[in-house]
Amino acid sequence: MTAATANRAIAVPAVGVRIEQVNLSYGDNHVLKSIDLDIRPGEFFAFLGPSGCGKTTLLRLIAGFNHADSGRVLVGEKDISALPPWKRDIGMVFQSYALWPHMTVARNVAFGLEEKRVPRAEIGPRVAAALELVGLTGLDQRRPAQLSGGQQQRVALARTIAVEPKLLLLDEPLSNLDAKLRVQVRRELRELQQRLGLTTIFVTHDQEEANTVCDRIAVMNQGVIQQVGTPKDLYEQPANLFVANFLGTANIVEGRVIGDGASRAYEVAGGLKIPIAVDRKLAPGARMVFRPQDCTIIGAGESAGPDRTEAAGTVSYREFLGASVRYGVRAGAANIAVDCPFHAGDTLHEVGTAVTVAIATSSVRFLSD
Amino acid sequence: MHRLLMLSLCAALVSTAAFAQAPAGKVTVVTSFAKDVTDPVKKAFETATPGVTLEVQNRNTNAGVKYLEETKSSNQVDLFWASAPDAFEVLKGKGLLQKYAPKASGIPEKIGQFPINDPAGFYFGFAASGYGIMWNERYVKANKLPDPREWQDLAKPVYYDHVSIAAPSRSGTTHLTVEAVLQGEGWAKGWGTIKAMAGNFRNITERSFGVPEAVNSGQVGYGIVIDFFAFSAQASGFPVKFIYPTVTTIVPANVGIVANAPNKAAAEAFVEFLLSPAGQQVLFEPGIRRLPVNPDVYAKAPADYPNPFKDPRLNAMIKFDVAKSEARNDVVDVLFDQLISFQLDSLKAATKAIHEAEAALAKKDNAQARALVAQARELIAAMPVDEAAASAKETASAFTGGKQKGARQAELEQQWAVFAKERYAQAQAKAEEATKLAK
Amino acid sequence: MGPGLRRDDVVGAPPMSLALPAPRARARLSATPGQIALALGIAVFLALFLVWPSATVIYVAFTEKGGGAFTLVNFVDFFRTDLFLRSFWNSFYVSAMAVVGASILALPLAYITSRFAFRGTVLIQTLGFLPLIMPPFVGAVAMQLFFGRNGSVNLLLDDWFGFKIPFMEGLNGVIFVQSIHYFPFILINLSAALRNIDASMEEAAQNLGSSGFRLFRRIVFPLAMPGYIAGASLVFVKVFDDLATPLLLNVKDMLAPQAYLRVTSIGIADPMGYVIAVVLIVASVAAMALSALATRGIDYSTVQRGGGGLSRRVLRPYESVLAYLTVTLILLLVLAPHAGLLLLSFSTIWSFSPLPDGYTMAHYARIFGESSLYIKNTLIYASLAGLIDVVLGTAIAYLVLRTRLVGRDVLDWAASAALAVPGIVLGIGYLRAFYGVKLWDGTPLASLWIVIVLALAIRRLPYALRACYAALQQISVSLEEAAENLGATKLRTVRRIVTPLMMGGMLAGFVTSFATAAVELSATLMLVQSNSDAPLAYGLYVLMQSAAGRGPGAALGVIAVLLVAVCTVLSHFVIERGRAMPQSGH
Repeated sequence: MTAATANRAIAVPAVGVRIEQVNLSYGDNHVLKSIDLDIRPGEFFAFLGPSGCGKTTLLRLIAGFNHADSGRVLVGEKDISALPPWKRDIGMVFQSYALWPHMTVARNVAFGLEEKRVPRAEIGPRVAAALELVGLTGLDQRRPAQLSGGQQQRVALARTIAVEPKLLLLDEPLSNLDAKLRVQVRRELRELQQRLGLTTIFVTHDQEEANTVCDRIAVMNQGVIQQVGTPKDLYEQPANLFVANFLGTANIVEGRVIGDGASRAYEVAGGLKIPIAVDRKLAPGARMVFRPQDCTIIGAGESAGPDRTEAAGTVSYREFLGASVRYGVRAGAANIAVDCPFHAGDTLHEVGTAVTVAIATSSVRFLSD
Repeated sequence: MHRLLMLSLCAALVSTAAFAQAPAGKVTVVTSFAKDVTDPVKKAFETATPGVTLEVQNRNTNAGVKYLEETKSSNQVDLFWASAPDAFEVLKGKGLLQKYAPKASGIPEKIGQFPINDPAGFYFGFAASGYGIMWNERYVKANKLPDPREWQDLAKPVYYDHVSIAAPSRSGTTHLTVEAVLQGEGWAKGWGTIKAMAGNFRNITERSFGVPEAVNSGQVGYGIVIDFFAFSAQASGFPVKFIYPTVTTIVPANVGIVANAPNKAAAEAFVEFLLSPAGQQVLFEPGIRRLPVNPDVYAKAPADYPNPFKDPRLNAMIKFDVAKSEARNDVVDVLFDQLISFQLDSLKAATKAIHEAEAALAKKDNAQARALVAQARELIAAMPVDEAAASAKETASAFTGGKQKGARQAELEQQWAVFAKERYAQAQAKAEEATKLAK
Repeated sequence: MGPGLRRDDVVGAPPMSLALPAPRARARLSATPGQIALALGIAVFLALFLVWPSATVIYVAFTEKGGGAFTLVNFVDFFRTDLFLRSFWNSFYVSAMAVVGASILALPLAYITSRFAFRGTVLIQTLGFLPLIMPPFVGAVAMQLFFGRNGSVNLLLDDWFGFKIPFMEGLNGVIFVQSIHYFPFILINLSAALRNIDASMEEAAQNLGSSGFRLFRRIVFPLAMPGYIAGASLVFVKVFDDLATPLLLNVKDMLAPQAYLRVTSIGIADPMGYVIAVVLIVASVAAMALSALATRGIDYSTVQRGGGGLSRRVLRPYESVLAYLTVTLILLLVLAPHAGLLLLSFSTIWSFSPLPDGYTMAHYARIFGESSLYIKNTLIYASLAGLIDVVLGTAIAYLVLRTRLVGRDVLDWAASAALAVPGIVLGIGYLRAFYGVKLWDGTPLASLWIVIVLALAIRRLPYALRACYAALQQISVSLEEAAENLGATKLRTVRRIVTPLMMGGMLAGFVTSFATAAVELSATLMLVQSNSDAPLAYGLYVLMQSAAGRGPGAALGVIAVLLVAVCTVLSHFVIERGRAMPQSGH
């Protein structure tokens, strides 16, 4: 099998997806609330959120297994809301893989082609091509139960890709794999997606997965899209406390605004006080948010520098992570996580010692729910 | 089924063309008789009447009557063929039979005191049967029991828990046995005898066949049965014996043509065959063993075959009043069920207590205790309804749903059951008291 | 395997209120037109062949005797009559005790075969099924021969030790016979449930320090509970409705016999029989509803991907001896009716003796000719009935589990309620409902043999439905969604994915329906129109009505049991092969 045949699947022009004002309830349970989303052609897009946030429901809605109470789903500018799943031409890889135990690998992969009435003569080569694409050549006569988890996952992928869908949906495709394999498979997934140029939606609860693979991410919580953006955008400029907290670690400190004009500042009980720029608007109840790596511990007498805010406290815990050390520093009411890079020969601060934390003032954001 | 129908239709067409009126095709009979009876008759009949096939539908008498009732709107049955004359009376009363005058000769009007054919001509006796007591010889030997001669013998303490009977409400033949005792001894005395006997019952079966089965296999010692059960069991080699008591009756087993029979000609042919000498002789088969109604046929009977026309014992039997029996049919059945079948445990407990008291008295007499035992026996024998009330229209209509609105059946049943239960308990208490006194 | 009256929350398809906003698109409808047509078809079938015939009989319970006026006085009478109340209590007591008895027989067998590496597992599972295919009449008859007052056991006991044990007396006798007859329902359901428990459940408990009987009591049994309750409720309902066994043991003060005696009584238009039938139906439905309620929320399917049920421990030598002893004893007891039947079929005279006087082949010779007709009819009727049941069962299970069709539960309930309609009621109902319906040539519909098939199918539908339901429940919905996602329509998905995956369960349902329909009598007795249309059970009934001995009847009984057993084993074989296939290489 040549690479040319294997790459036949590229033949589909990439399409975009638009979701407009989609609502869905199960009884009193409002699962999706006014979802609006625009996914660009060829994009690798993630729905990220904790379990129960509605991300899988939204994915199944696109595939046609759930039906919206209101709103539309457009794929390539065409409204597909009324189409049954089998007419949507959208490939989906299930979390459980959903391989049919009574069919061999080859029969599993051939299934969609047979259902699409692909001429018999074409089916064999296309099955082989799909299996080659996922690196499973030679296993076509096995039954699903005879395959490892990683192999099963690839069969599921091959089965979906073989029918050359307009859109690929992946429902937590990595969750049943072990950690090492997960890293490997997600790289392969990314590579394959790039090669095929196929618009892909990836559902996950793991921010690292989303960050590493996807072009853009929609963070969801409680049926609402919290923020859409590239991994970098989301990390640097989270729109709210949920996004800030869900992506990476954030210090979220509650305090109150004091003074006004140039002397306006955010004060935390017990010492920490940070000035607020004059033009900055703060929502009522906003909290101070900054990343552990945007602050550091400075030695006694050492100056924090111009753009930094100081806070005195004591070390409450210490976690050695190899490349860095994370300290917990209790400063008044706040318990601040601080990441310090570790270089060979560095001495570590002991728990209980008094230290000073310096926070990069520009990195501090004030966010609300 | 359909093909079969077409075939018989074709056959019917062909034969009508050839000989007008000749019986042909399928003739369907609903019968309570066992295969042992129906198979030889079917074979003989089909040989004697070429072109006719006999379709046998086996249902017990009650289910058969019910079946004819349920399907009368589109009847497919030609004949009803069973033992109990009262079932035929019921069918006749509901207009489910049609009249016919058999041409067969040589059959007398009566067997014993019983008219062989329905005087109105709706059904015809083809064989006679008498009722009696059947027992298992091995059982009797193992339990060292004496041979009974009369119904009253079965009431003796020695037979306690050794006797079986079919419920008269379930078995037309037992119903006739009970009715025969009631007519022979009178209502009050007759029930006394029956209840005294019933105190010794091991069980009351729901099917007539249950009794000979239980006796054959030795589960019970004695059974009150119709004679041919015993005869055919003997013919098969079971160690059983049978006697006719003096108060019994010989009654005919019957056949009748169903109203709107689809194959009337063949149905008539079957009736004629049964009454012909050839048909009568089939009754001698080991599995059948019934008494033919044509006296001449007995010349060819096997040795020791009872002949009701010659045997003085069988001839001297009581006159059986069919009309009387019919009038109180349901009442007798329900009385038996409510006073005996469904109260068997308390009846047996009371009977046992009386037996013990009498045994104690035999050793040491005590006048007061004797009086108590007599009272206990009276309590057991007591009846909630007398003969007149039993035959009264109001009582009967409680069971048939007649126009006169009296008590409902369920109310009567409950009343009678309570009546019996209370008296049996009192009888037991008195008998136990007597036992104490006699000690 | 469940009683199936349970609803479950299928992944991705939570129970959903059907009061959706007015649909803008067809896809928002609760079901496809095909599904609606299917549901309507089934509804019409059930209405025509179950509800209507039953109703024609049951309505008598609500009418005045002799007149036709509506009344409830009959029900008042029911509760005023001591006999009926006693019967009700007795039926309840006997059914409950039969459940206990059946559990005592089934628990050790299920436990030993599913928890230990035990050699005779397949044999036990097969033999354990046999009591269910005991034709009516012959079971209790054969039991009398062994355990009756003067049966073999008591004659020997009396001879050697001078005492007898009243196995077969009164209510205890009924409990004894029923426990033996119906224990397979518990065995089958419980074994299946035990097999479905993931090994990790047990391992987690062991890890936390639980072992031995405590482990069984606290983890294994609760997890197997739904299976047990399913079996137990089936036993309860069957015993509650059974009339043949009590009547053969001359026990009349139970509800089903009372109903039968009254419904079939000559010339007496007694509404009480029908009142009792209504009480029977209500009680059975209540028992099933209760079991459904009891299993709701405790039904966990714990087998995970790759999980293989409970781990089987190898028995230590003394345990092995104990296990074999237990199993042998139980099997001896439950197979006693078959042994008795076999002996009877070869015996010349068997009267008041531990063993027959002599042996003969004459009974088989006698029935040889006619039995082929009965066998042919039985095979046709039972397999057609089984087929109808599996098709209906699969369809109903599919509608209930995979669609959100309004009223789909009603179908499930109606089909299951067939279990509660006494055979005699259905039989009379068929005569009433269909005898007036004429075919083109004037033959009444009720006189065609197909009506027997329909009655059998309706009677056995609940069994097949449960099997199909359980089979479909075990199929992950995502397997079907994957097919739809790849372009297969609902119908094609059913054909290519659902049907092959359900095959095992469907076959199991077919076998249960087939085997039990082959020996069914209570409904057929009313419907058999001629000897040439008669099935085996009817032939047996006729042959057993003989004072000349039951040898021929027993011989036919043996043939019936063999026939059904062979068919069962064959299908079992097919199922096992089908089941082994996807797991080969493991």
